[in-house]
Amino acid sequence: MPPLTPQRRNLVLLLVLGLGLALMPAVASRYYIYFTALILVTGLLATSLNMVLGFGGMYQFHHAVFYGLGAYAAALTLNKTALWPWLGLLAGPLAAALLSLVMGLICLRLSKLYFGMLQISLGSLVWAIVFRWYSFTGGDDGIHGITLPSAIAGITGSYYFVLAVTAVCLFLMHRVITSPFGQTFQAIRDNPERAAALGVPVRRHQLLGLVIAGFFGGVAGVLFMAVENSVFPDLLFWTLSLEVLVMCLLGGWYTFLGPMLGAAIIVSLRTVVGIYTEYWTLVLGVILMLLIFFLPQGVLGYLLSRWQGPGQPALAKDK
Amino acid sequence: MEIASHITLAALGQQILVGLSRTTILFIVSSGLSLILGVLRIPNVSHGSLYMIGAFATYSVATLIGGTTGFWLALVLAPLLVALLSLVVERGLFCHLYEREHLMLLLFTFSLTLVFGDLVKLVWGSDFRSLSLPPTIQGSFTLLGLPFPRYNLFLLVLGPLVAWGLWFLTNRTKIGKIARAAAVDREMVAAMGINVSWIFAAVFCIGCFLAGLGGALVAPTQNITQGMGHAIIMEGFLIVIIGGLGNIWGALLGALIFGLTDAVGILVWPQFAIVFPYLAVVVVLLFRPRGLLRSTW
Amino acid sequence: MKKQSWLAIYLCAALALMLAPGAALAAKTIKVGIVDTYSGPPSTYTNDVRDGFKLEVDKINAAGGVLGSKIEFVTRDDKFKVDLGLSAAKELIMREGVDILMGTINSATALAVSDLVKNEKIPFFATFAKTDKLSGEKGHRYVFQITENTASAGKAGAVGLAKQKFVKYWIAGDDYEYGHALAEDLWKNLKKLKPEVELMGQSWWKVGEPDFTPYITSILAAKPDAVIIATGGAGCVPFLKAAKATGFNDKVPFYMHTATELSTLKPLGLDAPEGVIGSSNYFFYYPATPANKAFVEEFKKAYGREPKVGALYGYLTARFIIEGYKKAGALDKEKLINAIEGMTLDSPVGPVTLRAEDHQALLPMYMGVTKKAPGYDFLIAGDIVTISGQDAAPSLEDIKKARAK
Repeated sequence: MPPLTPQRRNLVLLLVLGLGLALMPAVASRYYIYFTALILVTGLLATSLNMVLGFGGMYQFHHAVFYGLGAYAAALTLNKTALWPWLGLLAGPLAAALLSLVMGLICLRLSKLYFGMLQISLGSLVWAIVFRWYSFTGGDDGIHGITLPSAIAGITGSYYFVLAVTAVCLFLMHRVITSPFGQTFQAIRDNPERAAALGVPVRRHQLLGLVIAGFFGGVAGVLFMAVENSVFPDLLFWTLSLEVLVMCLLGGWYTFLGPMLGAAIIVSLRTVVGIYTEYWTLVLGVILMLLIFFLPQGVLGYLLSRWQGPGQPALAKDK
Repeated sequence: MEIASHITLAALGQQILVGLSRTTILFIVSSGLSLILGVLRIPNVSHGSLYMIGAFATYSVATLIGGTTGFWLALVLAPLLVALLSLVVERGLFCHLYEREHLMLLLFTFSLTLVFGDLVKLVWGSDFRSLSLPPTIQGSFTLLGLPFPRYNLFLLVLGPLVAWGLWFLTNRTKIGKIARAAAVDREMVAAMGINVSWIFAAVFCIGCFLAGLGGALVAPTQNITQGMGHAIIMEGFLIVIIGGLGNIWGALLGALIFGLTDAVGILVWPQFAIVFPYLAVVVVLLFRPRGLLRSTW
Repeated sequence: MKKQSWLAIYLCAALALMLAPGAALAAKTIKVGIVDTYSGPPSTYTNDVRDGFKLEVDKINAAGGVLGSKIEFVTRDDKFKVDLGLSAAKELIMREGVDILMGTINSATALAVSDLVKNEKIPFFATFAKTDKLSGEKGHRYVFQITENTASAGKAGAVGLAKQKFVKYWIAGDDYEYGHALAEDLWKNLKKLKPEVELMGQSWWKVGEPDFTPYITSILAAKPDAVIIATGGAGCVPFLKAAKATGFNDKVPFYMHTATELSTLKPLGLDAPEGVIGSSNYFFYYPATPANKAFVEEFKKAYGREPKVGALYGYLTARFIIEGYKKAGALDKEKLINAIEGMTLDSPVGPVTLRAEDHQALLPMYMGVTKKAPGYDFLIAGDIVTISGQDAAPSLEDIKKARAK
């Protein structure tokens, strides 16, 4: 038997997890299937944000706009056009990527907090349009009862759809990060001036990163719509963006799968604690504080640094 | 999209004055935010919660003591209570985290908002509260042929006073000068043998005092309710950004832009008043990417 | 072990809790799930819905239950967020296995849950969502609206205002579906009843607008005869404050749908402006019938406060469920629905019918004017005009037209 290196162990863990998820509908009740789908969707959203947040070092403060727009674009094409429904699902990520490109072109003139706040302002304008354009978007009432292609309708159908798409997206995002582009992208995060001095077109890389993140955020939006059959303006509101940001930081924003774990923790917490008490945000707040004090690299960052020994802090790094 | 035809010079003047009194609140809240951002480098998301606690505390103090005295006393005591609370949080929790990444600090302040939100619910219940103004400043007087609330006049007078107080604090007192120096270069200040930690605590308290003061001042004009800090925190951050991070005069300028575009927008194009503040930010940042005035970052 | 590891273990344990199967309940209870907003301003309404509901449920349980089964209910706080509400509704249906859902003050949540129960075939009683799509355009077999909606409130407002002498109106309100729908329905009906009315202009403010003074001064500058304010829920209180501060109510009469409700007037105490025209489904002091007095007594004894309009909705929902099961003679959801379609109940506001065609509870609307009254430390509604449930509700043709779309 070959020695169990950390890489091998991680791979085995992932495979087991994947297999477990694929077989889950056979054993679990409807609610847990739905619940897992919700975690996967939220996790994909957080992972897509982390592409630019953790790996690009960009303060993407209003990522939910791409999520919401993706969901709305898909819902509107499904509801209002006679196009082939699968094409409608594709409209979501494309619209999100396009918006990401436009907003990126405007916001990239700025950096850090200024970038984030300009993005919040622009994103809030998009939110205001969705919220106000009653005749087209349904306004604050949202759109409900969206008909999906029958293959992915129903709880098990949408679960497998979500699982498959999430797996593919995670694979693709991982490829992007390990690609030469991804390496340059991370180099820009660590030292933009140096990267620029080396002749790297910093803006272009950052813009591409934003578009990719926006695209996958849009995919997550489409998946949300597939799970809930509903879209509503809350999906583009800044409070959701803040929550997703928290998921990344909580799970570990210098790790690839950390945001997924962060999403799982937050979605589970609010459901589990919400069953027992109205004060679940208090519990969540206290847990977050404990984590910040004791696990500053995030949960996955901490686990990785423990498993791989103190010598190799994985992707984690402390500033 | 009709453009209202009823806009007279008097109405415009009136609207500007009303907008200016709104500016006072925005300035008080965002200057506190800016102070903390500038000196401590913390994007304090819980500023809105402290604003809410300020409003609730005002309600409790005012109803406990009662009458006109109760109201005025509450305006002073409630912000002090908020400052005290912030001191506890700063010394107990925050001061251990200053070396962390900005986003981690943001996460921490976010978890504070979660905790404060539910604590308010535990202490005051989930119902909203309403506080009445004392008779002396109730009602309105006629200005340019239109009614102008007395309380707004009070706010109009208070705004410049707070601005002056902040100017005095930062420019004429020792602690203010050190804080300003620490904002630019904290290692240098520490190297001079000054205990930066306590300067930070003081600045944090003053910033939170301003949040509490903002909450106290709006308490008699709106619902005192959970979640009332949400809108103000977003507006506060946008104001601080367009004014220039950490620059108190920038906060004043930003608050003026916000208050006035809002008020005049309501008069000129009421259907789209909702987007004006955001548009203002976009326009400002497109032309002045680092904010209007020099930022301390 | 280090404390970090303990923390990780606790966290895992907490997550594992979630995998524990939901408490499976004996088939002998009727389980009702309430998804509603119990945080922030909406809770002033939702708490009363729950308490009014609980009062009736406790009574029937003490008497041995319905058909020998006790009624049990669980609540979930959705924080006024659609995704949380929808996910809680799914949790209640799939994990708790509730027989009936109710609640949702947020209209978007109500519509999302309504769509969910259509597929799950679970009866759903919307107790505070005001969108007229619930029983109108998007109505179906499993959804019931036990509250007024924007269409009925707008129609009732128009009936009341048509009797006034005003011609030139200004409309202002909350910039979201509720405000717009209410204003539109009111204006449409008013124009029909009194064709000479004229709309001078409109202002819309964002939901939760902190300061109404700039809007009021800009409306006053236009000098309309009267103003229609379509502000929902908790926005009424700060608006009335601003109206008082600017003397708005002395200069221009205005109508605001829920201005006279207890949840609006009680927090303001004696400082509320007088002479504001408002309307509501319920007052604890009107109608002064024995049925209403008894209900108020009971509620006060249980909770130490006067019932607000939500208590009536909660009460009615409980009673429809109880009487429905009794009439159906079996604990069967489909039979329950058949039984309550068209059912008429006696209530504190007189007989209330659940219209069979659209599942809308036909509630009377009381239009009145705010005034001070001896014995109360807050303002109450005076000169009350009653608009009957039949008159206020949208006509069945309108419902048919909306559903045909």
